Amino acid sequence: MIMDSRYWLQRSCRHVPLVLMIAIIGLCSAGFLSTALAQAPEAEQLNITVEAEGVADESSATLLPAPTPQRSDYPNIGASSRNIVWVIAQMHLFFGALVLAVPIFVLVIELIGFKTADDRYDDMAHEFMKVSLTAYAITALFGGTLALSLFLLYPDLMTYLMRAFGSQVLVYAGLFFLESMLLYIYYYGWNALRYGNRKWLHLTLGLLLNAVGTTLLFVANSWTTFMMAPSGVDPVSGAIIGSIWEVMKGPLWNPLNLHRFIANVAFGGAVVGAYAAFKFLSAKNPEEKAHYDWMGYSSNFISILAFLPLPFAGYWLMAEIYAYSQQMGILAMGGILAWLFVVQAVLICTILLAGNFYLWTGMARSEGSERYRWAIKYIATVLILGFLVWVTPHNVIYTASEITRLGGGNHPVLSPLGIMPAKNIAVFLMLIMTFLSFQLYRRADKVITVSWQDWGNALMACIYIVAIANIIFAGIYYGYFTNTVYKVGSSVIQVMSTVVVIVSGVVIDTLMFKGAKNLHVSWGKVSNRSQYALFALPITFTWLMALMGYVRSSVRTHWHVYTVMQDNSPDNFIPTLQTVGNMVTLVTLLFLAFLLFIFWIANLSGTRQLPPLTADRNPVIAESAT
Amino acid sequence: MTVLMKTLGFSVLLILTFAGVTYVLPQMEGAAPEEEVVNVGELTMETFIVMGEQLYQGKGTCALCHNELGRAPDLLALNVTSTSLERLADPRYQGDASDVEAYLRESMLQPSNFVVAGFGTKGSNDTESPMPAIDKPPVQLSALAIDAIIAYLQDKDGNPVTVPLPVEAGDSEVEVEPAVPAPAQSPEAVLAKFGCVACHSVLESVATLGPNLKDIANRQEADQIRDSIVDPGAVVGEGYLVVMPEFPNMTIAELEMIVEFLAMQTGEKS
Amino acid sequence: MGVKVRMEKSHRVLIWVVALSISLAAFYLMDQFVMSMQGLPLGWDLSPAQ
Repeated sequence: MIMDSRYWLQRSCRHVPLVLMIAIIGLCSAGFLSTALAQAPEAEQLNITVEAEGVADESSATLLPAPTPQRSDYPNIGASSRNIVWVIAQMHLFFGALVLAVPIFVLVIELIGFKTADDRYDDMAHEFMKVSLTAYAITALFGGTLALSLFLLYPDLMTYLMRAFGSQVLVYAGLFFLESMLLYIYYYGWNALRYGNRKWLHLTLGLLLNAVGTTLLFVANSWTTFMMAPSGVDPVSGAIIGSIWEVMKGPLWNPLNLHRFIANVAFGGAVVGAYAAFKFLSAKNPEEKAHYDWMGYSSNFISILAFLPLPFAGYWLMAEIYAYSQQMGILAMGGILAWLFVVQAVLICTILLAGNFYLWTGMARSEGSERYRWAIKYIATVLILGFLVWVTPHNVIYTASEITRLGGGNHPVLSPLGIMPAKNIAVFLMLIMTFLSFQLYRRADKVITVSWQDWGNALMACIYIVAIANIIFAGIYYGYFTNTVYKVGSSVIQVMSTVVVIVSGVVIDTLMFKGAKNLHVSWGKVSNRSQYALFALPITFTWLMALMGYVRSSVRTHWHVYTVMQDNSPDNFIPTLQTVGNMVTLVTLLFLAFLLFIFWIANLSGTRQLPPLTADRNPVIAESAT
Repeated sequence: MTVLMKTLGFSVLLILTFAGVTYVLPQMEGAAPEEEVVNVGELTMETFIVMGEQLYQGKGTCALCHNELGRAPDLLALNVTSTSLERLADPRYQGDASDVEAYLRESMLQPSNFVVAGFGTKGSNDTESPMPAIDKPPVQLSALAIDAIIAYLQDKDGNPVTVPLPVEAGDSEVEVEPAVPAPAQSPEAVLAKFGCVACHSVLESVATLGPNLKDIANRQEADQIRDSIVDPGAVVGEGYLVVMPEFPNMTIAELEMIVEFLAMQTGEKS
Repeated sequence: MGVKVRMEKSHRVLIWVVALSISLAAFYLMDQFVMSMQGLPLGWDLSPAQ
């Protein structure tokens, strides 16, 4: 081979995209870390903290205070403004979550396909992107409608928010141009940029697409968290006295960023899983069944993988809410909104049961699963018991005769199950059991051959046993026998124990699978029942998202911007649980309808009508073809 | 088509099940706090204490943390008066209160002045209280409301109430007050708000620290009256000292209202 | 043959005892570390030190 300059150019070119990718990842990580760690010192003093001095700053007298609209100042178009904005906003959030999430795991799948040179992954990634593209337009439509409805129905609030955020909103709009460009090139250029250096370029485009998408998410999150915990404002008048950075980086911004980023991936994976399940059930031949069965499994894998760390991110968000305002925190979980968290328990347990059920039925694809079948009933028992503990409230409103029969305001046995220590034990054990199902599934189609497998298995089992014991010990001892501070702090022990199980499980198994004998996996040979689990997941996720979104919004009570701009609209009350249930059901059904439309469009673009036949039963051929 | 029907049916059923859960649980509606004007003149000690209890359970949101769950001292279970005396006697107490009423008021307005052992913010070693200042948003109780709660806390264990019953003049509004005080609506209200009656004879009041305003229109034009209010030291009447303060928080509307009113004060009975 | 079975069994027991000890030690140390990082130190028996 002649090592001329062209040879060296080709060799180095191969690495340019890789270097580019690494640079971009590095920059994004540095950016995120710096935002997460950066302290805006003035912002700390400007935050509405409970210790803040009430005396207005001299200069704030010259700055505009927050508007104080009275009831008559709110536009009225004949229907509840809150309900209108509620529906439009929630639809926008559903679709926004979907279109941001899909490119994240599509990129990962594409990368796996590239590394393994397995076309199945690349084709699946391409198919997922088709779904995302249609959803993108709907997201934008709802976004525009949302903006219009907000300006129409809440002009004073929007005046204030525009004052707070200024030209940042134009940056947000500008980013959408970038997002659209990247999205279209990424999707339509898929086959043109299929191999070699071009594939690296394609992957880089995907990475950029995700970077822009994540930035869009973070920018929009700043509006939400500003309304809940305003920063960069004068506590007395609400005048904007901080820079845009101080306004954006409130105490709840990064917790919400993390929570929404992870939750989006879990949600997106669940939605494409439903798509795969639907295609599986409609499949005409074994090859199609196998293809969509595998697709469904991959989606569920992504969804459950992203779901596992979600409680931790949610916990961090809740902890920051408590740190910002004890009152807001207690209102959410100990006050009028507390019942919503009982409903949340029902939903999360549905998610966990559906996910686990899918894994158990899926194990039947491989004959090696017989070894682990005995564990399923125990895992199921722990899940059910955990659910029962989680859903138990601390106390309910008793009648006088009930209180007499109980001997007090609390049930002697069930009441202690209603507070956080018991619930933490329940949820972390449920997460560990889910991971166990997952680990058994991964082992079901392999025979491990490494020489140290006895050690590996013993260590893995002991980690499970000690972690579970640790979680129960920390929950009961610190939860019921020490003071509040230690009780709250012990939840970190429980979190870390769960994380240790998950991380060690992944690491040990990866090492133990080296050189393992792979048993046959019969893709497509799975019951139809299991596919319904793949429907249950996105339905439940959607309903849960809407419910939690309501909690996040309602915790502001009668404030547009908490403690700074009061809500004097006719809708400034907290609605009943039934009303909430109705609204959440409405948006979920709407989302389902739109989703069916999107799936149909994705299907439609792949169908082709055959040309009509002539009298002699031959297809009509155009003149130019002959 | 059957696949579509079956999957749709399953999905809708599941959604309705979740909705059903929200129907069987207890229903509560949380109304936003209403502006409630209390007629101070009609208050008796009994109704004052009852008002305090309602505030404790309601707008004050005290019961959210002060209960048996351990987040804050369970005030309903304690004897508040005797416990307050114990706290005042605590060697760690560095605050300014010397009696029960002052201690309770200090606990509400400056909670971090003294934090009961074990109830401080995590990591602050009981030097920082997680309790918000009750006269600031989001709770934002008025002085009258705070007094009512103190009266309730003193009374509930059978101890003497040291909080005096509120009197007419001054703040008679109990509920929501906006963070920025609303502008006065009449000349009389402006006079009351800025305390003119303390030094000047005007309307019904008699005071000799400053010039008599009941016939000010005979001596000064509207512009001169305005100057006196905006820049008190510019022109001082003969024999008077320069003690009149400035009023930076007076709005333009309020200023014009009072100038217009004073420009009509000729001393004649109307 | 009997000797081999006995050794296998005691070998298995050894493996489990070692694995359990490692796990217990690791989680004990983690507990101590996690609580002290939050300013909530623990005694040797994991009881609150404050």
